[in-house]
Amino acid sequence: MKKFLKTLPSKLWILLFAAVIFTFFSNDFGLVDIQKTAIILAAGIDRTEQGFSVTAQIAVPDSSDRTKGGTSSVNIEAEGATVSDCISRIYSKTGWVPKLVFCNLIVMGEEAVKEDVVSYLNYFLRNEYMPDSCLLAVCAGTAHELLVSESAIDDSSSIAVTKLFSEEAKKSGKVLVTSLKDFAIGYYGVSESGYLPFVRMTEQVHAGEKKDETRPEEERRMIYSAEETAIFSHGRMVALLPREQTLAFSMLQGNVFAGTFNARDGDEPVTLSVLTNDGGVKLSFSRGPRVEFSLDLRVRLCCRGLAASMDDIAGDEVKGEILASAEEILSGYVRDLYETATESGCDLFHLRRDLYRSSLSRYAEWKEALPAAAVPSYRVRVHSTK
Amino acid sequence: MNEKISSRQLYFFLACVAPVGKLVFLPTELAKYAKNDLLLPLLVQFALQAAAVFCVLLAARREQSFYDLVADMGGAFTAKVLSVLLALFLAFATLLPILEQKTFVQSVFYDTLPSILSFAPYFLFAAYVLTHPLPALGRIWDVLAPIFLVGMAGILILSFGACDFGALLPVGAAGAKGFGRGVMLASSWFFDAAVLLSLLGKFRYRRGMAWKGTLAYVAGGAIVLLFFAVFYAVFAETAMNQLFAFAKTSKYFAGITVLGRIDYLFIFALAIVMAYASVLPAQAGVSLLSDAFSHPKYLSLILGISLAVLYFILSLLLDYRFGQAVNLINGPLFWLFPLFSVLLPAATALVGRKA
Amino acid sequence: MKCVTGDLEGSKAALKKLLPAGDILTFDFVSESGMRFSCVFADPLTDKDLLGEQVVSPLLHYDGPARAEDVMHKLTSPEQRSERALDKLAEEVLTGNPVLLFADMDTAVIVGTKRIPVRAIAEPSTDVAVKGPREGFIEDFKTNTSLVRRRLRTPELRIDLLEVGRRSRTAVAVCYLEGTTKREIVEKVKERIKKIDIDIVADSSYLTHFLSSRPYSLVKQVGTTEKPDIFCAKIAEGRVGILVDGSPIALTVPYLLVEDFQSSEDYFVPPHRATFTRLLRLFALLAAIYLPAYYVSAQLFRLQLFPVRLLLTISGAIRDIPFSPSLEMLLVLLVLETLNEASVRMPKYVGMALSVVGALVLGETAVSAGFVSTPAIIIVAFSGIGLYAVPNLIEQTSVLRLAMLLIAGSVGTYGVLLATAFVLLYLVTTENYGAPLFAPFAPVVGRDLKDSIVKYHLQSMKLRPETLKSPNRRRLG
Repeated sequence: MKKFLKTLPSKLWILLFAAVIFTFFSNDFGLVDIQKTAIILAAGIDRTEQGFSVTAQIAVPDSSDRTKGGTSSVNIEAEGATVSDCISRIYSKTGWVPKLVFCNLIVMGEEAVKEDVVSYLNYFLRNEYMPDSCLLAVCAGTAHELLVSESAIDDSSSIAVTKLFSEEAKKSGKVLVTSLKDFAIGYYGVSESGYLPFVRMTEQVHAGEKKDETRPEEERRMIYSAEETAIFSHGRMVALLPREQTLAFSMLQGNVFAGTFNARDGDEPVTLSVLTNDGGVKLSFSRGPRVEFSLDLRVRLCCRGLAASMDDIAGDEVKGEILASAEEILSGYVRDLYETATESGCDLFHLRRDLYRSSLSRYAEWKEALPAAAVPSYRVRVHSTK
Repeated sequence: MNEKISSRQLYFFLACVAPVGKLVFLPTELAKYAKNDLLLPLLVQFALQAAAVFCVLLAARREQSFYDLVADMGGAFTAKVLSVLLALFLAFATLLPILEQKTFVQSVFYDTLPSILSFAPYFLFAAYVLTHPLPALGRIWDVLAPIFLVGMAGILILSFGACDFGALLPVGAAGAKGFGRGVMLASSWFFDAAVLLSLLGKFRYRRGMAWKGTLAYVAGGAIVLLFFAVFYAVFAETAMNQLFAFAKTSKYFAGITVLGRIDYLFIFALAIVMAYASVLPAQAGVSLLSDAFSHPKYLSLILGISLAVLYFILSLLLDYRFGQAVNLINGPLFWLFPLFSVLLPAATALVGRKA
Repeated sequence: MKCVTGDLEGSKAALKKLLPAGDILTFDFVSESGMRFSCVFADPLTDKDLLGEQVVSPLLHYDGPARAEDVMHKLTSPEQRSERALDKLAEEVLTGNPVLLFADMDTAVIVGTKRIPVRAIAEPSTDVAVKGPREGFIEDFKTNTSLVRRRLRTPELRIDLLEVGRRSRTAVAVCYLEGTTKREIVEKVKERIKKIDIDIVADSSYLTHFLSSRPYSLVKQVGTTEKPDIFCAKIAEGRVGILVDGSPIALTVPYLLVEDFQSSEDYFVPPHRATFTRLLRLFALLAAIYLPAYYVSAQLFRLQLFPVRLLLTISGAIRDIPFSPSLEMLLVLLVLETLNEASVRMPKYVGMALSVVGALVLGETAVSAGFVSTPAIIIVAFSGIGLYAVPNLIEQTSVLRLAMLLIAGSVGTYGVLLATAFVLLYLVTTENYGAPLFAPFAPVVGRDLKDSIVKYHLQSMKLRPETLKSPNRRRLG
């Protein structure tokens, strides 16, 4: 017995080594390696009569030159009763196992957002292998059209669209970005509201480098914009914010550091560039709920609509009239934004959430009436750089 | 290697190894019942355990093993019975961390649900650890402490950008029911004092150790509380859907889009600590039995390997029944945890004082 | 025990019987007074000029009595002693010292005129330092001990001589500083050396197996160096040094893993530079071990370990490669190991051609032909270079790298993590001569951390390493 136990470790080592070698060379325990994988870069969801249509944009690495990689993609569409059903049909169509770990964009078609989007987004929330940092967007028309379109600026449409949602774009105030996680928090929170960027595509017509027999017509390539914002209540899209209101909302969140907006100098249009942005929405109670929107911006004159003198160009300070006009214009944007949100029933500014966090008793009293019952006030200050 | 665990190593265990098991499922489970009040039940459990740890360290003054301590007061038979019961409890308590770890590994280390065999190497590792005497782990705690601190600091730093600490308000929203359920549920993750009982007599006692050890445990608890706060601040109402908490909060760091999942480095660091921490209670159980029955070396070896095999079989049987297993442990059997990890340590301290 | 007798021919014949080899010669001569002598010596090991000058010439004019003491006074050789036992005399002949036999005398004289061909002291190829001493140990035992003595001119330096090997009878010197090295360590080393029962000791590496507490372990447990400055510095810290005749590699115990991350140069450059290079060595070594495993497990099990752009590049590069990612990496790694092994053994002029074949034919062509991918070659190339950042651990780390790759290809990243945890536990529980291998990290020895991966200024390291438990702690006034 003692002798057996003494030699046991070496025997166990041999067994272990054999097991490792066996699994190494056979590795077939449900393993889906890179060569069997469809790397889904983006998914588009549309509503159809049967249920849903999912378009998956799958990266296809370019192997023509083995010393380089590539990022071209193919779009595979499948219909089914649920999103999961569609994804499994994509698998059966391609033979590649679709992996969502790199899916960085989910686009929903216009029709799909007329109902509670969580009825199909829940697939992604349930999926442990799906990153919830993935960006969400709504698009004009169908998501399929958007994903299959040829981008004028990138190999893949999803990569081109994702560029619209960069950190830099957020700082310009032209776009509002939401991830799956943020949208879910808004949806499941007491406000039950949220927003998503609304993507439109427009055709960019340019002559091909060389006209030949196979491509007689000019190439049809698309450019994308997401200056409008779809707002949601209870998971349904309830209104569309135009670009001015998108900018105002960004400013209220204090996100704008490199954005521009137009004001007036008399009859003359001028563009101001935002250098610092302090914004906020504050709920208070004084004979009922009151909501105060505050904006405090420091700006610089960026451009005039007319020719200007060298003194004017060299001067740093923005005239008082321009600042007053900027305040008036921005106040208008914020007012419109608040009206759009309240009229559509979207608690865009999370007033219910703020009330819930500050006082449970008041929340119980006012949760149904907010945000419509809140009396708004606007405090917009625009300063010039010295 | 027959040296005793040093006081520093013991503090490292209390501050850096004991907390790691509470970072996987517990945040999610607490968010399910206690919602934004998840810190309160956690605080209660930490306070109870800190008191129990203090009691055990008070009893440690006599530098006797748990068995000897009880035998001095209640005789050898009582000591044997209590040692067996405590060992059985520790072996049972190990089940939850192992099952937790299994699901964690299958989700975090693989893109698709892997074969059940992918977790099998863990049991080889467990067998290896279980066949080592408990004091041998003292040195590994020296290594694990900085690994834990670096891993935790990395995860917290990368997570702060996505935090909205307002999500933790209002205090008391879950009500007494949510709080009570949270306290009950969290019990299954708090048995550090019971593990510490098995370490009695295996570490060198130093003056003021009870206070210092409790402080170390409280420091570890503070790190866990901070992590729970960050976790809920990141996920708010969706927190109850976020399994494997410590692998989730840091992925929203802006640099990840450029650098890839650099947070995995920190997750891996914590996973190494977790691999040791999860098997520790079972090892403590083996050690208790060795003390009680003066096992020859080979018998203790066989016991360790048998336990590893048993856990492997249980993990196969409970493969898709993790939820049920957790419900069983948290539900009808939850009282075992306060019994062995709060009341028994308190009683041991009393025995230690009287004897 | 057979001894020499007054019968010169008889003694000579007896000695020749013990040493029948053809290169054992005898030289007979007669003094002016008619006294007969016979010299027995090993032809290749004896300095014959010296023998003629210091032994034969003085004795030609000898006319004194037939007594060994009187004859020895006549010899001009500084090394000489008398001996009667034939087997002892035979041993001396074999070490190169001639034996002088006399007619009518029952004692022989051993004369120290051996001449062993030795190479010049040169800079060792494995321990190169840009700054600092360039001397290295050579195969000659005496030269090596003289190099040590020159650096430690203290009566406390003890060089205890032992002999190992039933046939080789190799001289082994156990060097330590009396009062500085823990007595128990010295005794333990001597005890282990004395217990060695082996027929020959071809090199000091033979001894390492007997000096380790876990002889079957992959982990190194005995320190090695080719440089006398490092050897002496280690002895001065409280270690025991072992020199073996015929080997330029000196051994030191107790060995700590951290030693191999230190280079002699670290002590000749500013501390911040030394710290940086040590961290770099650590990083390079970890990268060398883990990078191939990481690459394979990411491709097989967890794509998210790559940033998306990198993944697409890799995905493009490996498309149409006929092997699985794990097999591809294993093949490239084996090619690297083969190239490495071949280039060490090959003559230098062929080695140049080999590196061209390795780099161009196997690398470039294999990628063009679609056998292997560019990323795999890059990973293995980096790993190959990284391993040499800590050259003293090559034997261990190259095996570890292969093991990690096999585990990664079998069960993925978690397997690699568990293997790491296993190795950590193994390392921290290994100790030799009472010193934990993983000190000063586990157990943490705060003061010793000053010269570990970080390097403090020399002035702040007032005490010798605590891990070595030296009875004389202070080294800096």
